[in-house]
Amino acid sequence: MIQTISTSHYLILAAALFCLGMFGVLIRRNALVVFMCIELMLNAANLTFLAFARARGDDLGHLSAFFIIAVAAAEAAVGLAIVISVFRARGTVNIEEIQSMKH
Amino acid sequence: MIVTPVFTLNDFLPVMPAAVLVVAAIVLMLSEVFLVSATRTYQAMLATLATVVAGGVAVHNAFEPARAALQGYAVLDPFSSWMTAMVCLGTGLAVLLSSGFLKHRNAERGEFYALMLFAAAGMSLLALSAEFITLFINLEVMSIATYALTAFLRRGPRPSEAGFKYFILGAFSAALLLYGAALLYGATGATKLIEVSAALPAAFIASPGLVYAGLGLVLAGFAFKVAAVPFHMWTPDVYEGAPTPVTALMSAGVKAAAFIALVRTSLFLVKGIPPEMPFYLFSGMALLTMIGGNLLALPQRNVKRMLAYSSIAHAGYLLLGVAALFAPQGAATTTDVGVFSATPLMGLVPNVSSGVYKGILFYLLGYTVTSLGAFGTISALERREDETRGNTWDLERFAGLAQRRPGWALAMAAFMLSLGGVPPTVGFLGKLFLFSAAVDAGLLGLAAVGILSSVVGVYFYLRVVVYMFMRPAPADATTPVRHWTTELALITSAVAVVGLGIVPGPITEWFGRLGMIFGH
Repeated sequence: MIQTISTSHYLILAAALFCLGMFGVLIRRNALVVFMCIELMLNAANLTFLAFARARGDDLGHLSAFFIIAVAAAEAAVGLAIVISVFRARGTVNIEEIQSMKH
Repeated sequence: MIVTPVFTLNDFLPVMPAAVLVVAAIVLMLSEVFLVSATRTYQAMLATLATVVAGGVAVHNAFEPARAALQGYAVLDPFSSWMTAMVCLGTGLAVLLSSGFLKHRNAERGEFYALMLFAAAGMSLLALSAEFITLFINLEVMSIATYALTAFLRRGPRPSEAGFKYFILGAFSAALLLYGAALLYGATGATKLIEVSAALPAAFIASPGLVYAGLGLVLAGFAFKVAAVPFHMWTPDVYEGAPTPVTALMSAGVKAAAFIALVRTSLFLVKGIPPEMPFYLFSGMALLTMIGGNLLALPQRNVKRMLAYSSIAHAGYLLLGVAALFAPQGAATTTDVGVFSATPLMGLVPNVSSGVYKGILFYLLGYTVTSLGAFGTISALERREDETRGNTWDLERFAGLAQRRPGWALAMAAFMLSLGGVPPTVGFLGKLFLFSAAVDAGLLGLAAVGILSSVVGVYFYLRVVVYMFMRPAPADATTPVRHWTTELALITSAVAVVGLGIVPGPITEWFGRLGMIFGH
């Protein structure tokens, strides 16, 4: 007896990934981990698009995923460059130490 | 069966301004590779020229009737075209400000102007996107260029810190928006706003949870971009750390473009859900943002940071306009809107929403020229030797400016009065249009809060004027260096602030026409 994996399994997985990413952005202190959490959120959105596209049998969601992957790559390029410049300026990528501007 | 889409030249009309900007940006990047020369003033001139041409095309587009373009992925309507024209104006002024600013820091490069033009193209395209993936891509085109601009100066820890904070929260908000779009796609099976809107009432009955989650995430994503109050934490640090001309571009362009996209998206997405929900949501956000922005700006001695909080407050006034769009229809009157009402076209009585659109557009125009001018004056006063000490933008820097540079002091006074909403400036007229539209929609209480909080705002704007005109210059004060492009930008914005404040001319009539937004 083989249990099939239904659309809702994919959706729950995507929602879990998204929440994981969201809480990671809010509570993690390492800039690179925060960065990875954002990628996780984008990919959760991707997975949601794909799961719905498969369930509905149309290709709009598949198409969207390609665009999102391309945009995420562009974002990663600029984001990593900024993380490197933070590291060069301070020698750390700990978010708690990146607080030079006071209120 | 594969249907080949047929495009006519008309389809490409809405994207023409962005195309002009992108081509100019590519030329600027190539100029860095091929034409290495000591002077780079021509780059600023080329970038300004591109914004002028793109702005001209956008103004031409603004008189075209509203219609869908590119198979419904984009729209051509006066709302987005006027927005593009304002973005071009703001970008042109920011480029002029940057030229002197960067030269002073030995950082003038073609890439900087190219990034500014790419950001402007993203803003223009964001304003006319009518489909979720298009919206997301253009939001990212705008944002990625702005992240890079924020971290462009690599002197000291501040720019990279500001760039990093902006990047994290910007990418976070984009991801929220995207996940919301994915959920709405699941609920409705469409990503074009007009199709989502048509399918929403049925989807709302079938799976209300999915629709609410999707709508909430999309709106939260936009709320981050416009810096509405629960989502505003990034603004002060990013605005303070970014190079000042970039801050000017962010406060005017990025925010305005996100606002236009927010208005368009929410107009389409409220179909089917109880009508009072978006109203309470936007009114609540407007209330918090108006009060929060003004109160947080009160204790600031750092003028750049004060203007960052003030930009939050101004987003609050604009949200008041958005709330007026969703006001329950019972309270709305169909009589004349505002004091400077639009002439009815085709025998139709102007309704509340056309007054609101006029208010929003005029306010955005006023805020664009005012904030460009205000940040421009700040950028002209900055001294490199203060950068490490962190008191570059202290109020003391403005003390006695009236003796050192009377022209600049007068211009800055005009910008401050305009931000505070004091006549005869464009800021006053903008507030008048926006608040009277809100009153016409029945939002008396919110409008009263808006007026009261802007009275609070007058205090910290006038404090700058008092320092400029009534305090003696400190002993170590130097006369700031002049640069002709900076002064050109300051003169343009000052003339616009006062001129539009006294004679708004046909602009109010253009902004108040019917059919501003496609489909509404």
